[in-house]
Amino acid sequence: MGESVAPIRGEITEIVGRPSSGRTSYLLACLSHVVGQGETAALVDAEETFDPRSAAQAGIDLRRLLWVRCGSDRGVALRAADMLVRCPGFALVALDLGERVPRLPPTLSFRLKFAVQRTDVALLIVGRRRLTGSSAALAIETLREGIEWAGPGLVPTRLARVRTRTRVLRSRREEPGESLWWTA
Amino acid sequence: MDRVSRFACVLVEHFDAAAVERCEPALRAQPLGVVNVRGDHPSAGREGAPTAKIAMIVEANAEARARGVRPGMTEAEARARCPMLVTRPLIEEYVLSARHALLEAALAVSPRIEDGGAGLVYVDTVGLERLIGDPPSIGRRLVHQARAVGLTARIGLAASRTAARVVAARASGPVTVVPEGRERAGLAGAPLATLALSPDLAATLARWGVRTLGDLAALPRAGLATRLGPAGLRAHDLALGLDHDPFRPWTPPPFWEEAQGLEWEIDSLGVLAGVLETVLERLCRRLASAALAADALEVRLGLASGGHHARDVSLAYPVVEVKPMLTLMVLDLEAHPPDAPVTRVAVSAHPIRAQAGQGGLWQPPAPAPRDLVSVLARLAALVGADNLGSPALVDSHRSDAFTMLAFSPPTEPAPLDHRPPWRSPRPDGGEHRLALRRMRPARRVDVEAAGERPTRVDARRVLAWAGPWRASGDWWDVEAWAREEWDVVLSDGALCRVARDRLTGHWYLDALYD
Repeated sequence: MGESVAPIRGEITEIVGRPSSGRTSYLLACLSHVVGQGETAALVDAEETFDPRSAAQAGIDLRRLLWVRCGSDRGVALRAADMLVRCPGFALVALDLGERVPRLPPTLSFRLKFAVQRTDVALLIVGRRRLTGSSAALAIETLREGIEWAGPGLVPTRLARVRTRTRVLRSRREEPGESLWWTA
Repeated sequence: MDRVSRFACVLVEHFDAAAVERCEPALRAQPLGVVNVRGDHPSAGREGAPTAKIAMIVEANAEARARGVRPGMTEAEARARCPMLVTRPLIEEYVLSARHALLEAALAVSPRIEDGGAGLVYVDTVGLERLIGDPPSIGRRLVHQARAVGLTARIGLAASRTAARVVAARASGPVTVVPEGRERAGLAGAPLATLALSPDLAATLARWGVRTLGDLAALPRAGLATRLGPAGLRAHDLALGLDHDPFRPWTPPPFWEEAQGLEWEIDSLGVLAGVLETVLERLCRRLASAALAADALEVRLGLASGGHHARDVSLAYPVVEVKPMLTLMVLDLEAHPPDAPVTRVAVSAHPIRAQAGQGGLWQPPAPAPRDLVSVLARLAALVGADNLGSPALVDSHRSDAFTMLAFSPPTEPAPLDHRPPWRSPRPDGGEHRLALRRMRPARRVDVEAAGERPTRVDARRVLAWAGPWRASGDWWDVEAWAREEWDVVLSDGALCRVARDRLTGHWYLDALYD
């Protein structure tokens, strides 16, 4: 991720996008940056879609990552995230809600926001659509722009890389979007 | 050259009562009698008469003794002398725990200690002057350590264990030091009963008019040997403050347990939590005094039905604090409650040398062990212990092979070359990896194929494809597998990985690239 679109400590950041738009790759990049600094991170996985092999290839030290698998129960995922943001010491708590993002009352959004501010953790929520409304300090949307294939002959034998673009939906300061290549 | 020896005697008087006071500190200010119930046979000639049970005082604290209560009395007689007397039954686990606690407290001061019996520990203090200070300082340290585990001790320091014990027993203050070479003078005024001689020997010496250790020490040694034999010589040595037996160092057996009997049955988890907290407080004080932490606990509950309910509670992180241990225990008992009211509680800990929680000065902060243990316990209760932890890759050709390990982040800082830069990659995409979102379990799909290439997946057209990548494994096992993987772009925009099981011919949606 660029310097301009990174999770903010003490604030809620949201990444939304359609399937295969690159939002999970952004999530792993954020986790990689945090654990690469020697800090600990937690991932609350509502749909249990996290791929440890992809994470290891992204440079994530899996020993510094707490993976919470929620068995497709969104309510459990929200409660788990609430517990983790109140535990001091985690640099990043990521909540991956997948395709079915529940409705969150504004009061609960504010409670989450204040809990995050108190412990100075960065809460990153990834999903198909936005969850916390105005409580998020930064919200970006990922869009896929192109795909490159590779192979020795005329018929490609493997996926080479995918190009994505981000569009800032909400920010407290002027944030430009950016375009990135992701290697398969 | 003779080795200079110095010993400290740690003496806790009326030890059975002190063990009860350790569990119920409020009783220290009250007259306390420890009772043991024994069967009493009626007078001879009345065969077949029922055996009465009589409660006998086996120990009394200083407050009770000041009011005339003595061991050997019946409880009724003791209450007649002291109407305010509080009694508690003799519970062996209390005494055993207190003995171990006293030994561990002494071990925290010196590595060479000897178990002299209940309430009596000898400490070799040679070499401690450099670490702690002069003998009074060593004595005060021992008093402090004993108090930390809930016991009030008197300390005597002398050149021999015998002299140290005698001065500790006679002293009024907490610490008494006998200067080197003054043992005989220091013991001279002590009564003969201090030596705990055999009744015959004590009676013989009493007939001779020997009342004190000074009187006994003044007797001619040759005459004692002639008249009393080896027992007389031994008594003479003790009166001079000489140790007869060699020093037998005590090494701690693995015993880290605290127990509490209950006066009534408990069938409420809230009330049981209060008892568990009291037991854990005693256990944690002992662990802390030995600079240890616990990484696992065993809870054993005695039940009113006569059975036991045992639970093992593992701690994700070594801790020596009551609150996270209690939280974990209560959560575990909520999930696995006993099936009868509880009459007894015992908690044992697996001790481990505690490590420093925070790494170097430049290392980022990590969750504190106490906070981490609590949040992991609550998460485990929410999602299940198997769904929580750090993933670890398994050495396998299966693309989704992993295992879950207990979350325990490393304390060493991340290596400098491991830290990825937080900036946009070069246009050729050299720095960021594309992630997969796994379908768990892999979803079976209907695929139309042209040859081996997929053309439709669940009625969605395949717009672009790459593959196949073939992989197989475990061919020697019943779980043998063989797959053919394709990366495809579907008409709804999804970029996914589909796989055909070459053993069954079925197609599956493995993952989405995202």
